[in-house]
Amino acid sequence: MINLKNVSLVFQGGSVAISNVSAKVKDGEFVYLVGHSGSGKSSFLKLLYKEYLATKGEIEVANIDVTKLPKWKIPLLRRKIGIVTQEPQLLDNRNTFENISFALEIMGSLPEEIDTKTNTLIDLVELNECAYKYPGQLSGGEQTRVSIARALANNPVVLLCDEPTGNLDPELSIQIISLLEKINRAGTTVVMATHDSSIVNRRKKRIIELKDGKIIRDQLNGSYVVR
Amino acid sequence: MGKFSYVLKNTILNMRRSPLLVFATIIAVLVSSFLVFTTLSARSIVQNNTVRWQSGVHVVVFLDDRVTTSAHKQLQESLESYPEVRLVDYFSKSEAKDEFQVLFKDQPELLAEVDFEILPSSLRINLNNPSDYTLIIERLEGNPAVKEIRSSGEAIERLLSLTDTLVISASAFALLIGFAAFILIINTLRLAAYSKRKEIKIMRLLGASSTYIRLPFTLEAVVESLIGTSIAVGFGWAVIEYSKNSVVAESIFDITIADDYLIFLTLSLLLFSLVFGLFASFVGIRKALND
Repeated sequence: MINLKNVSLVFQGGSVAISNVSAKVKDGEFVYLVGHSGSGKSSFLKLLYKEYLATKGEIEVANIDVTKLPKWKIPLLRRKIGIVTQEPQLLDNRNTFENISFALEIMGSLPEEIDTKTNTLIDLVELNECAYKYPGQLSGGEQTRVSIARALANNPVVLLCDEPTGNLDPELSIQIISLLEKINRAGTTVVMATHDSSIVNRRKKRIIELKDGKIIRDQLNGSYVVR
Repeated sequence: MGKFSYVLKNTILNMRRSPLLVFATIIAVLVSSFLVFTTLSARSIVQNNTVRWQSGVHVVVFLDDRVTTSAHKQLQESLESYPEVRLVDYFSKSEAKDEFQVLFKDQPELLAEVDFEILPSSLRINLNNPSDYTLIIERLEGNPAVKEIRSSGEAIERLLSLTDTLVISASAFALLIGFAAFILIINTLRLAAYSKRKEIKIMRLLGASSTYIRLPFTLEAVVESLIGTSIAVGFGWAVIEYSKNSVVAESIFDITIADDYLIFLTLSLLLFSLVFGLFASFVGIRKALND
């Protein structure tokens, strides 16, 4: 599903974000990407959906050679990936239903298909009560769930989550993790970046730990100790 | 269908967001297109009239009536032998009188006072190439049978030169206003793209192609450009229709323009405005999409 071979990312000016990283994530896996702020977690994820271009190495996601993918084909890659960011990035002038259906709308889905699928997604993220509320009327956790539902709209094979619980309290964070696990059980590969050890240690999953852009640990059923 | 309605909805939304800028853009395109339309139409009218005049009499040689008519006859034969000359018509004193009476039929006082004896007989020359009028003048210089020579070539040349100057000036002005319209479109699109930067960012994350993100902006630029040009062309047609029945049309000018030419001009301008809108939108949001 995801394969990185000797990947490095060096920004203009010489700062190294990712250094010679190799990793594989299989279909249907749930992986926590952990490390301190600035360890390279976000850069790792952004390389996967080609927001950043690797300086060196090879990246393959969902059978697409990301490193050789021309710029005009990036949308094709992103349609296979669901992306959830720390800030939910919702459109303020659209309610929950419209924010989720936006993803289907821009892909050219038919109105009936948009309605059916959006309602299914609202059910999945348990936001039926908030379907017609605007982002300003939603809690942080609800906004994150809208963002997850939107990311799932195009049936992605992999879901990349960049600290989706970063702004949430522990209880809401657990709800989001439960939701992501539910999505993972349905067959979607999930890679979630976080620096919250309480979340990671509660559910024993595979952990890839980054430090200064390098993988210092890759462990199944691992735990994360903040050093 | 879904994609099309998204593009249409967002185009209207963008245009409603900054109506004054949209209005200014349309006005600038309108003025620029109107100038191009009227200038090219005017040039066509002048060219038509010039051709008409050039196919008529090019040089008039007024004859000295003190010399004998055989000298006049000799001069006519000599002129007819020149390769540049197509036709030479002798215009007698009585024909000159008739013509004068027709031309000034509305001024009976003048007709009453004129001594028709002073009107000279003349030779009216039609040339194969109207620009050869100087050669004829040179050859007739010093000929005792010739009293005076008048040529229409010089007047036509002056008129054509004036028309060319007008066309160049109007074109330069149209270009300047066209450039202003171009800047206005770019500015309008950049403002729209800036206000939608979050939406654009989300669309990119969700896998929308650049073309799809670009379409509402492109359509906006094309619509503004086409509206401006269509109104301008409409005005242009109205001006031509009005001019046909005006005082100018009753004078020496023939205001008619071939419908084929007007249709060609209209379609060319609309096509140009389409390309203009596409190019302006390409330049306008290139930066916004690359960020």
